[in-house]
Amino acid sequence: MTDRRFLLLCAGEVLVVAAGNLAAALILQVLILAAFLDDRRGYLVFVPAAALYAAVLAASGTILLPLLALAGALGCGYAALTLQDYRLTLRAGGAA
Amino acid sequence: MIRPTRTTGGVAALALALTVVALLIASPAAALAAGSLALFLLWRGWRFERDLAAVAASLKVNREVDRTILRQGATTTVRVTTTLTPPPGMEVRVRDVPPAVAAGDAPLCRPGETATYTIRLMAPGETTFGGVLLEANDAFFSRDLLVSRLNAPPLRVFPAGTTATGGGRGTGVGETEVDRKATLDGQSIRGFRPYRSGDDPGRIDWKISARHNVLYVREQTGLEGGAPLIVIDLPARDADPETFARFSMAVSGAVEGAIRSRDGCSLLVVTSGEILRFLPETRDLREALQALSGLAPVEPRNPLYRAPGPTVLAARARLPGGSGGQEKTCLARLGGVLTAFARESRSPFSAAIAAALARVEATEVHLYTLITEGDRSHLTQVIHQAKARGMRVVASAPDRAPILPGVDAVEVI
Repeated sequence: MTDRRFLLLCAGEVLVVAAGNLAAALILQVLILAAFLDDRRGYLVFVPAAALYAAVLAASGTILLPLLALAGALGCGYAALTLQDYRLTLRAGGAA
Repeated sequence: MIRPTRTTGGVAALALALTVVALLIASPAAALAAGSLALFLLWRGWRFERDLAAVAASLKVNREVDRTILRQGATTTVRVTTTLTPPPGMEVRVRDVPPAVAAGDAPLCRPGETATYTIRLMAPGETTFGGVLLEANDAFFSRDLLVSRLNAPPLRVFPAGTTATGGGRGTGVGETEVDRKATLDGQSIRGFRPYRSGDDPGRIDWKISARHNVLYVREQTGLEGGAPLIVIDLPARDADPETFARFSMAVSGAVEGAIRSRDGCSLLVVTSGEILRFLPETRDLREALQALSGLAPVEPRNPLYRAPGPTVLAARARLPGGSGGQEKTCLARLGGVLTAFARESRSPFSAAIAAALARVEATEVHLYTLITEGDRSHLTQVIHQAKARGMRVVASAPDRAPILPGVDAVEVI
């Protein structure tokens, strides 16, 4: 991933922040991140998660609570990722 | 665990900056951008793990080793070819992991390439390769995964010689000689015996066979006598693993040495009151090592409860005649009682040992044991039965082990 592409991502995020409403911001964000990627296998798994987060953000009417909820969800996701990694290590060792 | 790349760090920093902006200016769009970037990284991590699992599942290793049975300190060349299917966007490199007891490193190579390297095995024992190390990375994460299940072929390393503390054959400077005669390469005829199934046809003596109209084979011998009987006394489960590993190596070395330098050997594996394996008069190293494979400390199932066995009882029954008439009568009666006890105290273990000793016709018994302070009656029975047949008994035991009565020489393992 080149530095130039990362700078373009940063510029794209400025556009997202400058977007007038959440729906437009979501569409922009999905397009910018898709452009950021070379290989988009499984990208459709990410899009619903981002849309769900946008829906929660729109429904709550605040910023802090959705951010805290997202932090919790990310913590759970990280725990699941760690478990997946542990299982992979076991399988590679021939234990499972 | 997966490691983030520089790009991931940048995206995470961007997400953090957007979070701060979102809180400062209360912008839902900034909060959305920050949260979706964090979700994006989580999704990439999940995808990386899934891709890596697919790579590990598709991995195939073809590892060829020049020699799989070799001596301690010897070198061998390893050729490894790995095949796998990396998903798009993921770069994978492979490094073979040599055995833990080997010196030498394998080069890092791409899938499909053949890596050739040399290792030197530094410690005796049965060992395997450590597996294959996958070094995978994509744009966002990297991870080193050790696939240790692909560790074939196993290597068997024999000791180069016992160290000075353990005694040995004196093959080099600093090693000590032990109380045993050397074996000569040249062998003479010790005697003849009837042919048995499995005997080498090359040992048939046709003149004697023709004279008696029965097949006879020559029994050859060095200075130590014929093929020795190696008795292995397996310790109980609470044996120290390190000591047992040394014990196993000593046994393997003795069997290999006996087969290479003499006319084969016989193997008898016993534990408390039980014969586990018996291999009479083998000259095939592979067969002997197969008989030794998988030996491990066992839970005693048939303890002899310190029974001395019929041979010891019979020896005790042979009392001196006595000087006076009354003393002579008393000793004769006592001898009769002890003889009756000896006759009645036969056990399946002692009968099996007697049959095994009769079958092998050895003149020397090498007894390997990790003797402890517990019940040693099975060893006593083996030793005394061997002595009763005129065999020389050499015990090999750890340093400071209790002395077994009746042995002719003791070697330290």
